[in-house]
Amino acid sequence: MAHVTTMERENRRFGWLLTAPGLVLLAAVVLFPIVWAGITSFFNYSLIFPGYDDFAGLGNYAKAADDGEFLHSAWITLLFVVAVVGIQFVAGFVVALMLNDARRGKTVYYLILLCPLLINPVVVGLMWRMILHPTLGIVNWLLGSVGIEPVNWLGAPDMAFWTVVLVDIWHQVSFMVVLLLAGLSALPAEPYEAARVDGATPFQRFWHITLPMMKPVIVVTLLIRMIFAIKTYDIIYIMTRGGPGVATDLISYFIYRRAFVSLDLGEACAMAAMLLIVIAGLTAVLWRSMRQVQD
Amino acid sequence: MKKYMLSSLSALALTAVAAHAETVNILMEAVPDTTYIQELLPEFEEATGIDVNLEVVNYAEMHTKLVPQLVSNSGSYSAIVVDFYWVGEFFKAGWMQPLDDRIAADGFDTSVYVPAMMDLVGQVEGTTYMLPFYNYAMGLLYRTDLLEDEANKTAYMDAFGTELKKPETWDEYLQQVRFFTKDGSYGVVNQGLRPDPIAMEWSNYLFAKGGEFIDDGWHATFNSPEGVAALEDYITNLNDYGPVGAASFSFDEAFNVFSQGQAYSYITYNFFRAAVDDASGSAIVGKGEIMGVPGQTPEEGGSLNGAWGWAIPKSSPNPDAAWEFLKWVESPEIAKKRALLGGSATRLDVFDDAEVIAKYPQTTALKELLLGSHNFPTFTYTPQFVEVLGRELSLAVSGEKSAQEALDAAAAEFDELAIKDGRQE
Repeated sequence: MAHVTTMERENRRFGWLLTAPGLVLLAAVVLFPIVWAGITSFFNYSLIFPGYDDFAGLGNYAKAADDGEFLHSAWITLLFVVAVVGIQFVAGFVVALMLNDARRGKTVYYLILLCPLLINPVVVGLMWRMILHPTLGIVNWLLGSVGIEPVNWLGAPDMAFWTVVLVDIWHQVSFMVVLLLAGLSALPAEPYEAARVDGATPFQRFWHITLPMMKPVIVVTLLIRMIFAIKTYDIIYIMTRGGPGVATDLISYFIYRRAFVSLDLGEACAMAAMLLIVIAGLTAVLWRSMRQVQD
Repeated sequence: MKKYMLSSLSALALTAVAAHAETVNILMEAVPDTTYIQELLPEFEEATGIDVNLEVVNYAEMHTKLVPQLVSNSGSYSAIVVDFYWVGEFFKAGWMQPLDDRIAADGFDTSVYVPAMMDLVGQVEGTTYMLPFYNYAMGLLYRTDLLEDEANKTAYMDAFGTELKKPETWDEYLQQVRFFTKDGSYGVVNQGLRPDPIAMEWSNYLFAKGGEFIDDGWHATFNSPEGVAALEDYITNLNDYGPVGAASFSFDEAFNVFSQGQAYSYITYNFFRAAVDDASGSAIVGKGEIMGVPGQTPEEGGSLNGAWGWAIPKSSPNPDAAWEFLKWVESPEIAKKRALLGGSATRLDVFDDAEVIAKYPQTTALKELLLGSHNFPTFTYTPQFVEVLGRELSLAVSGEKSAQEALDAAAAEFDELAIKDGRQE
């Protein structure tokens, strides 16, 4: 057993003293709401009759697992996450590779790419709703001027899904670019020089050097982006309200409605807890890969 | 020195008075009638010394912002405005103060309100909780210039053998919608966004077709043959006679299509009538008029009623000051002034006021529209029902369910909610 000196003990105490205010604040604004929501999920708690008299056990969880609309939302969310993260990753990686090789004007490109990321998601939604207005929007007008029929961007189920995916990509792709570019610029130059001497083609260099060395960064980037994508709410709220039909009814928006329209906090908390478990699982993976990056 | 001390003391005293000056906080929706109230507020502040602070937000944010304040023991809103479909919920949860004692004590006359308004946003089970603020009963906006056009008249006579005029029945209206869909123009524009835009708009179709939402025992009847036919009319209008993308339009986008002169008609909230003549955003000034949604016969109407009421929440920090404001804002003078600014009335004396009619000749049509309108079922779970109805209608419009399947699903969920609320046996 390691011997703890008085000085070490004092150091430790001082450390706790310094972190205490932060920890208390975090407990109040993060831990407490989560615990409270967790407790609420076991009760039939409605905002119309607030109270913890009606214990439901796992009833709210069973109800959620049996709710076709909720499961549909979970499915749509999964499709959305795969589409958004997949396309953003490919596009983001290509742009990051190009920027990494750029000799001049890197800052300018960087600035332009970052612009969408700086815009509030609500503004992004409103802006695109105007741009994509089927009869008065500029996109259909431009398409019309070259003889293409007006596109029903948000009014047809499949199209609406892909429109929302594209808007999200436009908004968030630079996040991928920034993270991947940081990873790329941190790669050592030696392996590339050696490969060039050996006569490797650019593709071979990418496939056998860049990709393996970037793997930890890629995993982290994908996971962070996935967690954000699962939580997508603003764009749906502004652009489609989950419609047409239930084509874009993502899970966060679904849970929001259960809580603030139906005022059924018990069930909403159970659904949120289920979502939290999924996100926590992803975070655990993320944490592990981040440690790998460090090692 | 003394002088200096005195002036600082009086400055302090003034600050203290200012700090004690009462403020009435109200959360309101960003609609024309809120703007008119804002314009009139200085009169109230001058007369009573009470400051009024209006927090103006979009409709979608209102319910979410209100509920936490209403649940707490002491909220931040002195007075609130209540949309008709929250009334059942707010009543059940006990969030509103009864106003009867205050009404009696001050001799406030509520008999001047249109009776349907008092039913919708005034009384609940015999107790007055609200004073009706403005009505947004829905009506049919249509293009008078297209109806008066000689070429149109001739073509219409040739096609249907009848005269082209303001539609008197639902079928005549549908025929005009078909007729005016030509040369890149549309017969109609719809607001197909879920949940409330589509649910509210379709309700007019249901009533126009002769259907009703519920029977006397609170059982859903809107999946009747009339209801199904109404939804089929809606789908046809939206997909065949309206612009691409109307399934995702909220009311502002749909109105833009109408006000840019691209559609013959639009069934919407009556406050848009004033916007037709607003040259800053309309290309059809003087060319649009409103009427009640026509029904099965010229005597029947199909309009959906809608209104907001003023209420004082139980959690109000200063209910007395809030009542002072309510009394003032709903007084005959202020109600008339608001109408003269373009506001939408709920009081019969305002509808019949010569000055108001002289300034806005459509007032008479709006009164008729209101008197002939139908109410949406209001109970504890109305917001949830609107959500369900909006979803199912949207599924039918996007072709993922048939009209019958969608309405059956919505009706089943309605019955569940009605049972949960103790409305059904």
